[in-house]
Amino acid sequence: MLHLERLKTAIDAMSHLTAERQQQCESDTAQALRWLTDAPEPAELRARLVPVVAGGGDWAGALPATAAPLDARLVAAGDPPHGAVLIAVDGSQVYPDPHAAVLYYLLQIGGLAFRYDGSRPTPYSCESLHFRDDELYDAQGYPISSEQVGMRRLVREMEYLAELTTLERHVAPAAPLMALTDGPLLWPYIERSRADSAALEAYLAAMSEIRQAGGLPVGYVARPGGRTLVELLWAGQLSPADIPGRLADNPLRGLTDAILMAHFLRPGERSAWFSRPSATNQRQADHGHEVWFCYVNVGTEHAPVIARLETPHWGAIDEDAITALHVILLHQARVLNGYPYALARAHEEALVTTADKAALDSEIQRHILEQGIVVRPSEKAQQKAYLGRR
Amino acid sequence: MADQDKTITIGNVLRADIRGFVVASHIPAPDVPTFGTFVRAAIQQERAELIGLVYNITLQDDPFLKNLAVTVVEDDPRYAEIIRDQQENRAIPVEIAVVAIGYRNNEGYHYGLPPQPPMILHRITVCSQDEVRHITAAPDFLHTLLDNRDVPADELIPTALQQAAHLLPETLREDFYLDAGRYLAHYWGRDPARLERILRRLA
Repeated sequence: MLHLERLKTAIDAMSHLTAERQQQCESDTAQALRWLTDAPEPAELRARLVPVVAGGGDWAGALPATAAPLDARLVAAGDPPHGAVLIAVDGSQVYPDPHAAVLYYLLQIGGLAFRYDGSRPTPYSCESLHFRDDELYDAQGYPISSEQVGMRRLVREMEYLAELTTLERHVAPAAPLMALTDGPLLWPYIERSRADSAALEAYLAAMSEIRQAGGLPVGYVARPGGRTLVELLWAGQLSPADIPGRLADNPLRGLTDAILMAHFLRPGERSAWFSRPSATNQRQADHGHEVWFCYVNVGTEHAPVIARLETPHWGAIDEDAITALHVILLHQARVLNGYPYALARAHEEALVTTADKAALDSEIQRHILEQGIVVRPSEKAQQKAYLGRR
Repeated sequence: MADQDKTITIGNVLRADIRGFVVASHIPAPDVPTFGTFVRAAIQQERAELIGLVYNITLQDDPFLKNLAVTVVEDDPRYAEIIRDQQENRAIPVEIAVVAIGYRNNEGYHYGLPPQPPMILHRITVCSQDEVRHITAAPDFLHTLLDNRDVPADELIPTALQQAAHLLPETLREDFYLDAGRYLAHYWGRDPARLERILRRLA
């Protein structure tokens, strides 16, 4: 039971802090917008930041990826091209639970192929149950973490996206084909083991398959965090002599790229392309898939909705493909209040509900019982399940 | 005929008692069973199967559709694919209420309440035509509906009888209806108005 009355002081303090942050955020945004319009040319900025990038440090900023000015606002008008195909995938999982009757984890990937030709979209899904020792324990014999399950899910999502892209390419040999995934395209995990490296290799191999099939892999990051662009703008305010010395002194501490873009991009507009000079992106570049990103406002005049789009550089420089992607995403987001319809449906196909999990657990226990073995959740799990129903 | 005889798994039992159960279902709209559909569910550790009739279908609240309802325009070609997806593909959350009319075990079909309700999360399947013909071979399959105030019996009985009769050769239908009429008259002889109302629906 939660004693709300004991939290009253903390809730008061939180609300005051939120108001202060809001005030600070408004003045920081105004400052950042000035920096954006005053920013040096992209080539000049890249030159200034060469020592930082070459040094391989931990600077959290972005680099301009093209010659477009940082304050470019790009529009794409019209309807999605007839025949274009958008494939969206998303995944969900049941994490391994040491208190469950049996140790396992489940991955389920859902997808939707949305063809702009008036036809019925095709939903897809696939699921896999993982219960063998080499799937549940790492090389040191420790149970795998939720992060490792997440990593395997991410690989499976990209592999499934590649399968569906190849499948749809056979159906529509010449159509623009966008392969959309929910979340960043840039590999978000640190390589700590051989298994991690193998996962990244598999992820990039799947991305290559998508390219081979003539698809454009796109990561759609809704409500993006991060402030790589704000860091770049600060770098633009420094003299070459202050780089890298004062890079860490950015005064706009509480401002994110998304807040800045919500004030900068008008509905339907997208920004210029940027890239992250990180080790992971360099690794992806070595495989031909350096990730570039831009921001897009898929909201309305009174309710801006900022998303970050991530795509390999080879896709980002294909202007026709990016224009088609831009128009498609605006159409997709318009029908669902700022979130792509196909991704929402892919999520729905992937979702493992509480009832699904209960049915799966029941089926597993029944089959094991048929083998003459009685298994049951731990006493702790049973008690928590009982309390959770209250 | 083979196509008509397909069976469809429609969902899992959500709550149940000896008189019936409610199924939570996520199936595309074309597969949602209609009022009066014969369905079955495993009972007694799958040693028997309860047979029941769908008597209510409730569409659950769906936030997805709420969002679409304000943006999508039915005849606008820009939304054609989305409308087709929603109408033809999408699993809509429905609750389907079923009243028990009998059960089947290795000795055959039995009319009346089953010995046990189906367990929660067991799957429910639409009966095949052959199963419907067996359970409706005698009008006793109506027994649990006669005094059941929880179901719309006056609508459900004619619907079930018509579905069953439709599966018979035309030459046998008249006798089937006559048998059913006599059975109902035996129970509702003191309520001729109600009896007439039901029989008129069969006419």
